[in-house]
Amino acid sequence: MLDLLPHILNGLTLGLLFALIALGFMLIVGLMEQINLAHGSLFALGAYFAMQLMGPRPPLPQDIASAWLALPLGWRYAAALIIAPMAAGAIGIAIEFCMRRTYGKDPLYGLLLTFGAAMVIEETIRLIWGTRDYVLQVPQAINGGVLFGDLIWSTYRFYAAGISAVIIGLVWLLIEKTPFGAIVKAGAHDSEIVRALGINLTRLRLLVFVFGTMLAAIAGIIVAPIWGIRPHMGVDAVIPAFLVIVLGGVGSFWGAVVAGLLVGLAVGLSGAYASEWSLLSMYVLLVAVVTFRARGLWGKKSVLEA
Amino acid sequence: MIATYQSDSARLITPTMMWLFLALATVPLWIARIGLYPYLGIEILIWSIYALAFNLVLGTAGLPSFGHGAYFGIGAYAFGLCQFNVVANLWVCLAAAFVIAGLAGALVALFISHRRGIYYAFMTIAFGQIFWTVAIKSHKVTGGEDGLLKIARLPADLGFASIDLAGNVSFYYFVLLVFGVAVIAMWRLVHSPYGRVIAAIKQSETRAAHLGYNVWLYKASIFTLSAAISGFAGGLFAMAQLAAFPDVMSLHQSGYVVMMTLVGGGLVSFWGPVVGVFLFLTARDVIGALTNAWMLYFGLLFMAVVLFRPEGVAGAVAAAWQNRSLYSMRRQGGSALRLLFGGGRWR
Repeated sequence: MLDLLPHILNGLTLGLLFALIALGFMLIVGLMEQINLAHGSLFALGAYFAMQLMGPRPPLPQDIASAWLALPLGWRYAAALIIAPMAAGAIGIAIEFCMRRTYGKDPLYGLLLTFGAAMVIEETIRLIWGTRDYVLQVPQAINGGVLFGDLIWSTYRFYAAGISAVIIGLVWLLIEKTPFGAIVKAGAHDSEIVRALGINLTRLRLLVFVFGTMLAAIAGIIVAPIWGIRPHMGVDAVIPAFLVIVLGGVGSFWGAVVAGLLVGLAVGLSGAYASEWSLLSMYVLLVAVVTFRARGLWGKKSVLEA
Repeated sequence: MIATYQSDSARLITPTMMWLFLALATVPLWIARIGLYPYLGIEILIWSIYALAFNLVLGTAGLPSFGHGAYFGIGAYAFGLCQFNVVANLWVCLAAAFVIAGLAGALVALFISHRRGIYYAFMTIAFGQIFWTVAIKSHKVTGGEDGLLKIARLPADLGFASIDLAGNVSFYYFVLLVFGVAVIAMWRLVHSPYGRVIAAIKQSETRAAHLGYNVWLYKASIFTLSAAISGFAGGLFAMAQLAAFPDVMSLHQSGYVVMMTLVGGGLVSFWGPVVGVFLFLTARDVIGALTNAWMLYFGLLFMAVVLFRPEGVAGAVAAAWQNRSLYSMRRQGGSALRLLFGGGRWR
């Protein structure tokens, strides 16, 4: 059992990351009943934007760029963590404008549209940045390793897991404890009544979508130092995100978080025994759960089943 | 109009098919003159069989399957492995591709056929990823990411004569023949009583169940059949490429067949997948020669199709042909399958 402890810890940190990756996807699924397959591409865009901002050649005029680069790494990292998601959010606005035409139709259309958008974004990434791998620098304070037991742990993993937990908590507070969250949830539940109460549902949906894409970008920035930055990272993120939602059940916040942790544990523990096959474990877990529980762990009835 | 519909759907070979087969038979005579090559023709025919098989699930049954590449890939591997380990006979190896992919499809169908919507879609993705991962990681059997190489184009042994298929032109005619048989078989299938029940399930599972049909069995069987035919096409593809690679099983490539089918108009027309495959592969070679970013443009085209013309190219052509509004076509949805180029009756 004690031998397993590092793997369990590893799995839990990984699980928090999976939950974070799934968070924006879950909001859009739960509150808009739309599958955003471009989620992974926005995740990748967040990482690329942040890398570009922090890297040797930021997209700024010459004199501002040199002043910017003179700032300590920590400041630049913090700024990138805010600016890059906003840039990705702008792309999210464009996608939502296209997506409006599919509201009220079979959810399949939204899924297909965002699949096309994902392809377009990924190809654009290849055009701009090429296919090579990039590294996202992180401040000294969260870099390096700590000795824990007789193993070296990367400090960044703990930082990433911690910040994931904080972001998940904040999003939960926003959805469950603020008037904004109440309106959004009501809009998902009965859009007609919400509209009749004088709330601009079109704007509300845009807000939710953009918020979801910004969360995707933030997840990209947090995960990038661990996974590396490459064009394929979007697909590597969107499949686990989708999986976590289906496993946790559509429309369940804590279902998704628990599913993320379970997936992380499954990948971490199977990685201890058969690292070659560890990615399979999440699919096996999904099949095992969905075979017996039609709507995942705590899923609610939704139009996505029709 | 009504008469054409009834005679066409009752026919074994429709006039459209005749013209199409005749036109396709002339392809090797002129394709080199327009700067393309017979291999492209082979690819288009094989992917057409695959896309038609896929559309049995997406268009006819209305089941969103996004992991179909797995069965295409399994067929390719089955063809190669049968050739290396069992017997190097064309018919046996193609049958193996059909049966093994069908078995894989049946296994998956057991798990997913009582699911609907997004859960169905994601389960197909999950199984697709499982098969893909297994194909990549089982180096000893499949050659891993390098693929299963040195697959031969086996000669077609007819008992009294054996036809060599090693050349691209002779192989093209062989694939055309197979394509013809597959098209006729699938045409009969969607117009059989069985196919009508499948179309009814697309419209409403609940209603079909209340009429006494075993919805689960129909969903499972159409998925299995579609997987088997996809695998068969995969076997042909292994012959065409002289190898089997895992990339056709990836999520991306599974997505391509969905795109081809939809851009072509698979939701409203039997021929939609064929139109889509033709557009996709020709665009890949023609635009791909000009720019590396052809997938970007195809992605944009796909988004535009989903937004503005969800019935795809074949749907738009058929509507113009019959002077029908696209709006009524969109509303028609599933039963619009019967609206083919030859004509159709609206309920």
